[in-house]
Amino acid sequence: MQQPRALAAFVIALAAVAAIFAVQALLGEARPGSAMGLVWGGLAAVLMVAAALLGVRRRTMRWGLGRAQDWAQLHVYGGTLALVLALFHAGWRWPRGWLDQWLLGLSVWVVASGLAGVALRKTLPKMLTGLSVEVLYERIPELAAELRERAEELAAAASVPVRELYRQRLRPVMDAPRVRWAFFLDPTGGAASRLGEIDFLRERLEPAERERLERLSEIYQTKLGLDAHFTLQRPLRLWLWLHVPPSLVLLALLAVHVAVALFY
Amino acid sequence: MSSDLRTGTETGEQHRVDQHRVDQHRVELRRGAQYRDRWTTFGARTGILELSERLSAAELRRYEIFQGYDDAFLNKLSPDVSVARWQAGTLLFEEGSYLDLAFFIVEGAVEVFLSRHAAPPPIFDAERTSLFSAQLPLVTADVKAVAPATGITFLATLDFELPASGRAELGPGELLGEIGAMSGWPQSVTARVLRASTLVQIRLPALRAMRRASPAFKERLDAVYRRRSLADHLRATPLLAPLGVLAIGALTEAVELISCEPGEVIAREGEPADALYLVRSGFVQLAQRWGAGEIVVNYLSKGMTFGEIELLAGQTGGFTASAASVEHAELVRIPRLAFDGVLRGQPALEAQLWEGAVARLRETGASRRNPEHAQLIETALERGLVQGNSILVIDLERCTRCDDCVRACAATHGGRPRFVREGDKIANLQVAHACYHCRDPVCLVGCPTGAIRRSGVGHVVAIDENLCIGCQTCARSCPYDAIVMHETGETWPDDMIPEHLRGAPRLVASKCDLCHTSEEGPACVKNCPNGCAYRIGSLEELELLLDR
Repeated sequence: MQQPRALAAFVIALAAVAAIFAVQALLGEARPGSAMGLVWGGLAAVLMVAAALLGVRRRTMRWGLGRAQDWAQLHVYGGTLALVLALFHAGWRWPRGWLDQWLLGLSVWVVASGLAGVALRKTLPKMLTGLSVEVLYERIPELAAELRERAEELAAAASVPVRELYRQRLRPVMDAPRVRWAFFLDPTGGAASRLGEIDFLRERLEPAERERLERLSEIYQTKLGLDAHFTLQRPLRLWLWLHVPPSLVLLALLAVHVAVALFY
Repeated sequence: MSSDLRTGTETGEQHRVDQHRVDQHRVELRRGAQYRDRWTTFGARTGILELSERLSAAELRRYEIFQGYDDAFLNKLSPDVSVARWQAGTLLFEEGSYLDLAFFIVEGAVEVFLSRHAAPPPIFDAERTSLFSAQLPLVTADVKAVAPATGITFLATLDFELPASGRAELGPGELLGEIGAMSGWPQSVTARVLRASTLVQIRLPALRAMRRASPAFKERLDAVYRRRSLADHLRATPLLAPLGVLAIGALTEAVELISCEPGEVIAREGEPADALYLVRSGFVQLAQRWGAGEIVVNYLSKGMTFGEIELLAGQTGGFTASAASVEHAELVRIPRLAFDGVLRGQPALEAQLWEGAVARLRETGASRRNPEHAQLIETALERGLVQGNSILVIDLERCTRCDDCVRACAATHGGRPRFVREGDKIANLQVAHACYHCRDPVCLVGCPTGAIRRSGVGHVVAIDENLCIGCQTCARSCPYDAIVMHETGETWPDDMIPEHLRGAPRLVASKCDLCHTSEEGPACVKNCPNGCAYRIGSLEELELLLDR
C-alpha cells in the first residue's frame, strides 16, 4: 500500500473510532468492562499482535509474504491505532492494578519510541545523503584505520609546516570513529574552518608539498565523513533497543492480561 | 642387482605408468565434459550426438566459412568454434532467447518458425525510438495500404522473410543466429533441427574477429542481413515506415552497413553532412563543442537516427554534433543521394522529419542550458547505465541503511548475498554493485564452460554454479564490479582442468540473478521496508526517480 493511502486509511479509521468512543462516553459507558470497552480492548490486542508480526516477516524474507513496505506501514499505523484503542478500553483513565498500569505505560512507551524511530528514519537519511561519502556502517572502523595509516605516512614525509598542521589540527580527527553530537547540527563536522587553515598554508608551499597537503586534506574530509556516518547511522540502529525489548515485554503482559480477563 | 629387486622396480614403474594413463584418461573425460557444456545453447548436453574437440587451423579450413583466413588467425579463433552433430527434433534456440553464437549448417536442415507470438515483439524501444510517436497510427495505416500481395509476411522484426505459413527451412551453407548474436537482440524465431545435422558453432568473439579481418565475410553477413531483415528493419523505423515497397527496396541496395568498435568516431561536428545514420544496435553518444571541451548533449539507442537535421536544413555547416559509439554499435548509413530520393514526393515524411529535427534541437538545447542534464547523460554513458536492463538503484534519502535488501538477497540465495550495498552516487541515488543484466553483457565473452549465460528467454544473465570453475574471467570482465567470487569450502579434484586449480580451494562466481526463478521478483526490492529500492531499465526511469 502506498504511503498516502495508508495514512488516509489510518486517519479515517481514527476518526471513525473516535466518533464511536465519543458516543460511548456520552452514554457513560466508557469503562474497560463494558461491552464496547471489551471490543476496544480486543481490537487493540489484535492490532498489537498484527504490528508485532513485522518482526516475524523480517525473519522470513525467503518466503516473501507480501511487500515489506506494506508490513512496515501496518506496523506503524496499526501500532499507533492500537494505543488509541487501548486508551479507549481504559476509558481514558489511569488503571488501578499494577498489571494494567504496566500494560498502558508500556503501550505508551512502545508507541512513543516507535514514532521517535519514524522521525529518525525520516530525517537522518536525508542528512546522510548530503555527505560526500557513503559507507557501510560495519566498514567504518576498518576504513578509518586505513585512512589514519595513509595520513600518517603522508605526514611523516611532509615538510615541517604540513607536519605541524597535521599534528595539531588534523591528527585528533584521525582517531578511531567516534560519535560527535555536533554532526547533528552540522554534518560536515565543522570542516570549513580547518579547510580555511589548509588553504592558507597551501599558498605558501612548493608544488610537491601542495599536492601532499591536498591529499591530506582529502583524507581529513573523508574521515570527517566517516565520523558523520558513524554518528548519524548509530541512532538508526540503537533506537531499536529502546523499542523492541519493551514491546516483547508488552506482548507478554498482554497475554497475561487477556488470560486473566478471559478466565478469572 | 637381484632379479627380485629388478622385478620390484619394474612393477613399481609399471604401476606409475598405469596410474598416469588412468589420470590422463580422467583428465580427458573432464576436459571433454567441460568443453561440451560450453557448447550447448541451453547448458545441457541434450541433443548433441557428437561434439568436436578444439579444431586446428587445417581442420577449420575444411569448412567453407573459414576459407581465406591464415593459420595464425584460425588458431586464435579456434577456442570459440566447435562442430556439433545435432539429433533430429532438437530445439537449437527459442524465440525471445538471447544467444551469443551463430550456427553454420554444414549438413542437414534446420527449420525456423514463430512459436510464441502472432506478431513478434518489437525489437525497438518504442518509447525512445521515435520522435514521431504521435504520428505512428497514421504511419501504420499507410504501411498497410501499400503491403504487397506476395504471400510474404512483413513482420517488423524478423530475421527471416517467412512465408505466410510462418516457417522456413535452411540447408547447407546457411548461417543463422548471427544477427541476434552480433546485435544483442533476442532471437526472433525458434529454430529446430529437422534431421540429424552437422553445424559449425561460432561464438561472438570469433564472429566479430572474422568480420573485422575479412571484408568478404563482412559482405556475406551484410548480404544475409540485407536479404533477410534490412527491409523490415527499415520499415520498422518510424522515420521510414511510410515508404512503399519499391522505395524501401531501393534504399536496401543503397545503404551501407557499418560496425563500430567501442569509442569509434562516426561523424565529427563541422564535417560535411553527407548521410543519415540509423542505429541498429548499441548506443551512440552525441557531443558538441563547449568552451574548450565537449559536452554530451544526447545519446541514441537502436532505431534512432542522426544527420536528418543537417540533410534537411542544408546550411548547418556540417554535422551539428560529433557522434561516437559507446560500445560496439551497428549502424545503417543512408547516403545523401538516397536520402533525397526517399524524400522526393513524400511531403508527409519531410514534415515528420522536420518535427523530429526540431525535437532533437530542443533536447540538445536543453542539455546545453542545463549542464546537469548533460552531466547525467555523460555519467550514464560512462557508467554503463544505458546498458542495463535492470539496475538496482537505492534512494538514499529514504534508505535507513538497515541492509534488509542484502539480508533478503542472502536469505533467498543460500545465505550468500549476490550484491553489495555500495556503489556510485548520482545525486540522492546510489547505483548498487549488482548485476545490470546488460544489453550487451561482456561477462559472457570468454567463459570457458558456458556457466554464465542468458537464462532461457529474457534478459536475465545467470551463472550455473555447477559449471563454473572459478576462473574469474567474468568477474574481471565485468565493468561494474557486480560479480564476486566466493569460496565453497571444497577443493578441486586432482584431475581438474585447468591444471593449476588442482587441489586449490574451489571458488565460484556469484551475482544477482534477479530472482528469476521466483514469481515474486527481486527479493531486494520486495523486502525493503522503506520502498527505496528500485530496478530501472532506462535513463528516462532514472531521471524520473531523480525528479521525485
